[in-house]
Amino acid sequence: MFRKVLVANRGEIALRVIRALREMGIASVAVYSDADRNSLAVRMADEAVRLGPAPSAESYLRMDRILEAAALTGAEAIHPGYGFLSENDVFAAACESAGVKFIGPSAAAIRAVGSKTAARQVAKAAGAPIVPGIEEPVDSMDEARRVAREIGYPVLLKAVAGGGGKGMRRVDREADLEAALRDAASEAERSFRNAEVYIEKLVLEPRHIEIQVLGDEHGHMIHLGERECSLQRRHQKVIEESPSPVMLQYPELRHAMGEAALKVARAAGYYNAGTCEFLVDANRNFYFLEMNTRLQVEHPVTELVTVLDLVEWQLRIASGERLTLQQEDIQWRGWAIECRVYAEDPTADFMPSPGRIESVREPSGPGIRLDSAVYAGMTVPMEYDPLLAKLAVWASSRGRAIERMRRAISEYRISGIKTNLEFFDRVLADSEFRTGSFHTNYIPDFFARAGRSVAPTEDEMTAAKAIAVFHEAKRKPVTAGPAAGSRWRASLHAEVLR
Amino acid sequence: MKGLPPNWQISEIEPGLYSILDGTRSLEARVSRNHKGYVVDLNGQILEFELEDPRELSSGSRHHGRQGRADIVAPMPGKVVRVLVSAGDAVEEGQGLVVVEAMKMQNEMKAPKDGKVTAVSAKEGASIAAGQVLVTLE
Repeated sequence: MFRKVLVANRGEIALRVIRALREMGIASVAVYSDADRNSLAVRMADEAVRLGPAPSAESYLRMDRILEAAALTGAEAIHPGYGFLSENDVFAAACESAGVKFIGPSAAAIRAVGSKTAARQVAKAAGAPIVPGIEEPVDSMDEARRVAREIGYPVLLKAVAGGGGKGMRRVDREADLEAALRDAASEAERSFRNAEVYIEKLVLEPRHIEIQVLGDEHGHMIHLGERECSLQRRHQKVIEESPSPVMLQYPELRHAMGEAALKVARAAGYYNAGTCEFLVDANRNFYFLEMNTRLQVEHPVTELVTVLDLVEWQLRIASGERLTLQQEDIQWRGWAIECRVYAEDPTADFMPSPGRIESVREPSGPGIRLDSAVYAGMTVPMEYDPLLAKLAVWASSRGRAIERMRRAISEYRISGIKTNLEFFDRVLADSEFRTGSFHTNYIPDFFARAGRSVAPTEDEMTAAKAIAVFHEAKRKPVTAGPAAGSRWRASLHAEVLR
Repeated sequence: MKGLPPNWQISEIEPGLYSILDGTRSLEARVSRNHKGYVVDLNGQILEFELEDPRELSSGSRHHGRQGRADIVAPMPGKVVRVLVSAGDAVEEGQGLVVVEAMKMQNEMKAPKDGKVTAVSAKEGASIAAGQVLVTLE
């Protein structure tokens, strides 16, 4: 096993990895940008090395600086977390050349399934179901027209190098195809410096369900079941759960999807932790979408129901150990839900809300797992993803997990910036969410149905104003007698001093 | 008064964080300000608003416009020093009704509007709690 590992990431995932390292008796090295000098990761790690200024391109994406930091500290391996360099085959190869172990799949495996079109080709060849469409980028309008007609409208245009919904367009009829193709290509060019776009059939009202796989470097691989990731805003997941509610009714689906995921991963020569994403339609047809060649943000829900430590396994596998678990060893018990707590305003189209956190009170008690990187007095930088924390709960059933999550949210307070905590409580109370039958358009539908926000009642507003007045009086004590114009303050101040 | 409802018992946990017992109902509130005004986190619900002249909100009275009943309540715990009116008196807006004292500061509670005194519950020398009704006007 390694004696020292560098964590090439920031925020909650850096802490997650540092925690695993400490539990395993491995020294940890954090790297940081100037914006993160005071972060919990820097303070919790055994060592920390500065990478550069705040922008990612000058810090967390600087392969050279990260490898220098590994050399400086004598770290034997690098855990890339998620995002940043985690799915960068060039970085994986650079680590290998530098004699530092990259904790993840091989550079070749990342390349094999790194782009969406490459992954489709691998999946198709391996016999896993894929969304009908083409594997090659479209190179002409004529070809686009022909393919769209063949698979039938509506179709989806997607950027080859895409992610996060960028370079994606829905097209319902041929008349709109040309303009949509132009838009998608130019957005893809701007976002990924790669204008290539491909076409696939639009699966209507799909669920987004993914399968976790785990394999060692000696050819043994298993799956750890699914995560339900249908609740998304702007094509990013906000609530994940495991199991998926679908599996309650159709338990055989887990096995079928697990097998499909293993086929893709094996075909790519994959090892370490990885995730295959699928769309599942109303008739429970499932289609392979893409493979994420890293630890997922939402891995805690899998850990909670399987009682496995995925980061520990990543480290063990990377150090050459054999995966001692067999498929039949894996059992799923109870229910886990995760809410991604973001610095954002759900009432204003989830606009990011960076700034200084005035105070934090974290939930605790039975069944709570909080992966958080924030503290009172911290300024949430505007340079990075607005994820503040992942609040996960475990309970014996889905209903109980939902109630536990609502209880945890009722304890959770973050002040100074806007967060989506109230929004989560509304969703968790929503009858449609509670039935478990929803699809990827749930959040826009929910807003259309229930409104973007709930107006406070008159009583609540009166109470809030009363407290503000009280607070104001306390904040600006007056020394003059009550005669002056500030009698309101004087009188309140008198009470305050009691 | 609108400032502090009558049944409230309020305790400051840390600067800006208050525990309130509204009767037996437990509330927690954190008050902060942003560029637009106040942000109050009331039991996890975020309320944002502006306060006009805060004096208006704590004029020591709870009344509904120029018409109707108005309760004059104690703005703080303390002692009634003097009662200046009796039931049945006609009063003018701004006229002194009761003088209360706390922390060696005397406050004259004034009529928020023209009207008639319908009840005087304040007694000279009596201890009072914040929010307690002292005089009622009609």
